[in-house]
Amino acid sequence: MSSTEQIATTDIAPVQKARKKRPFGFYLAGFWVALILFLAVFGDFLPGPQWDESFYDSLGVAPFHQSHILGTTLDGYDMYSGLVHGARLSVFVALVAVIVGGAIGTVIGVASAYFRGKIDVVITMAFNIMLSIPNLVLSLALISVLAYSDENNPASTTRRVGVLMLSLTIVIIPILGRIARGATLQWSSREFVLASKSMGTTNFTIIRKHILPNVAPAILAIGFLAIGSVIIVEGSLAVLGIGVPGGGSWGSMLANGRGNIAFSPWEVYLPAGAIALTVISCNWFGDYVRKALDQRESKI
Amino acid sequence: MAGSGKAHMRPDGDTVLTVEDLTVEFKLGKDKIVKAVSGVSFDLVRGETLAVVGESGCGKSTLGKAILQLPKPNSGSVNFLSTELTTLGKKELRDMRPAMQMIFQDPVSSLDPRLPVSEVLAEPLRVWKRGNQVEIDAKIDELLNAVNLDPKVVRDRRSYEFSGGQCQRISIARALALDPTMIICDEPVSALDVSVQAQILNLLQDMKDRYGLTLMFISHDLAVVKAVSTRVMVMYLGKVCEVAPPDELYQNTKHHYTRALVASVPIPDPERPISSGFIQGEPPSPMNPPSGCRFRTRCPAASEKCAAEEPQLREVAVGHFVACHHPIEE
Repeated sequence: MSSTEQIATTDIAPVQKARKKRPFGFYLAGFWVALILFLAVFGDFLPGPQWDESFYDSLGVAPFHQSHILGTTLDGYDMYSGLVHGARLSVFVALVAVIVGGAIGTVIGVASAYFRGKIDVVITMAFNIMLSIPNLVLSLALISVLAYSDENNPASTTRRVGVLMLSLTIVIIPILGRIARGATLQWSSREFVLASKSMGTTNFTIIRKHILPNVAPAILAIGFLAIGSVIIVEGSLAVLGIGVPGGGSWGSMLANGRGNIAFSPWEVYLPAGAIALTVISCNWFGDYVRKALDQRESKI
Repeated sequence: MAGSGKAHMRPDGDTVLTVEDLTVEFKLGKDKIVKAVSGVSFDLVRGETLAVVGESGCGKSTLGKAILQLPKPNSGSVNFLSTELTTLGKKELRDMRPAMQMIFQDPVSSLDPRLPVSEVLAEPLRVWKRGNQVEIDAKIDELLNAVNLDPKVVRDRRSYEFSGGQCQRISIARALALDPTMIICDEPVSALDVSVQAQILNLLQDMKDRYGLTLMFISHDLAVVKAVSTRVMVMYLGKVCEVAPPDELYQNTKHHYTRALVASVPIPDPERPISSGFIQGEPPSPMNPPSGCRFRTRCPAASEKCAAEEPQLREVAVGHFVACHHPIEE
């Protein structure tokens, strides 16, 4: 222990406890997402007009009406309760698709990149094939096959929603799976993984303790972006007429209202605005996570 | 030079590690095989520090990893503490791992950026269930003190808060956690400043004396090697060229490649003309190594015999072995 060696402990900078200042947009996006989540969960228990009740005395009233704060459709459905109810389905479908699809994609991607070999080649090829099919076309094809309906055999709403979620989940798997695979390739080549192997840590423990925590931020960042795009795909499918029938989601409200745009434009603008704000908020979060990650990375 | 042979082996000694005819090859494509290590043999006697030197790409790091069976070598034998590692089953091999540890070149990449130091050091202890949390905590403090880091200051910090030298101290502490018999140091100081290099080398020497370690020290820096080793093995393109104690190797160089390596050590004298060295060019591709002696394409003394016949290691002085048909005469 020479005197030069003892310097080693004293030249470490003190721990920085200063709180990071977050940009204003972060709180704005956070407020919107919190509001949507709150309404999606508790919306149906709040007082107010029912979403599936038609008010024949007030057809197509403009927003800021005294009993219909966001107006009604030409058929007399309340816009506010429609949006609240639609939030539930749009957000639920998007969350389920991204969480389930993300989990499956992460497991496949991480395992494929960690163990390499022939399976990795096959999985990468499968991901690329799936990614080469446009999202909308893939969901469209899956829904028309799995929840086929015509006038004689109408598919139940539950079945349509189920198939919708399934198809969106399948769309998400390769997107997040490829991110997970790429990040795992990068991290598993670090020497601390080799160090863990050389001390006899099992592969499962290495993945759980070293790979997943390091890969998670990248998946989280893209996951937020994916929630946004799933909401858009769901809306697009509804406009194409194969989403959730009967105005049950933002997309199908938009689809039902687009014929009335000349008489009651709020029927289109309000659900479109809700989709846009939610998607922007999700993208914002994704960007924020990614930037925070980049800063951490540059320090490493 | 760059030959095979086992004349330098010491079967009568108290050997910790005996490596024989070790070969590591990587498949790059259908017919492309990189011969990273070709038939290397050596042994490690308890308490010694064997330095493995050679230029980039000569297979020294691959050799170190192959000894740990990461990945397993293609052929040859690795006998560690009287146990043959190459044929060992997964579980039995895992049971051997605590006794052989490795320290890596990149100090920052060696530590998981998401884990605080206490977790980094707890990992080996938890994997092998060495005591309860209180005992593990005590052991972590002991290890940090051993590498001259203040446990109170560093325990909860993550790797990016440390300098390269400090990270390397933590890596050394981690390698020591399981009380190993042998540590393979893969260029442990080449990523560090010269001033820090000395600290880390001293620390390794202290740890070696304190814990009775046997070290294999992989490096390309002959000045560093001279400071730490008791025996030096020079490698070129996956083969052994020369084995000797460091003083003997530097003063009585027998191999033309070793002479070029020694001549390439920079001398801190600005007045001195820059020498162009004894050899020119790049080493040949390990995918298609030259016949006979692998160094013959760059060797000033190469003859037809060198192309036809691979030189074997032979003793030229006490403890000094060289694989060359035309060793340097004084």
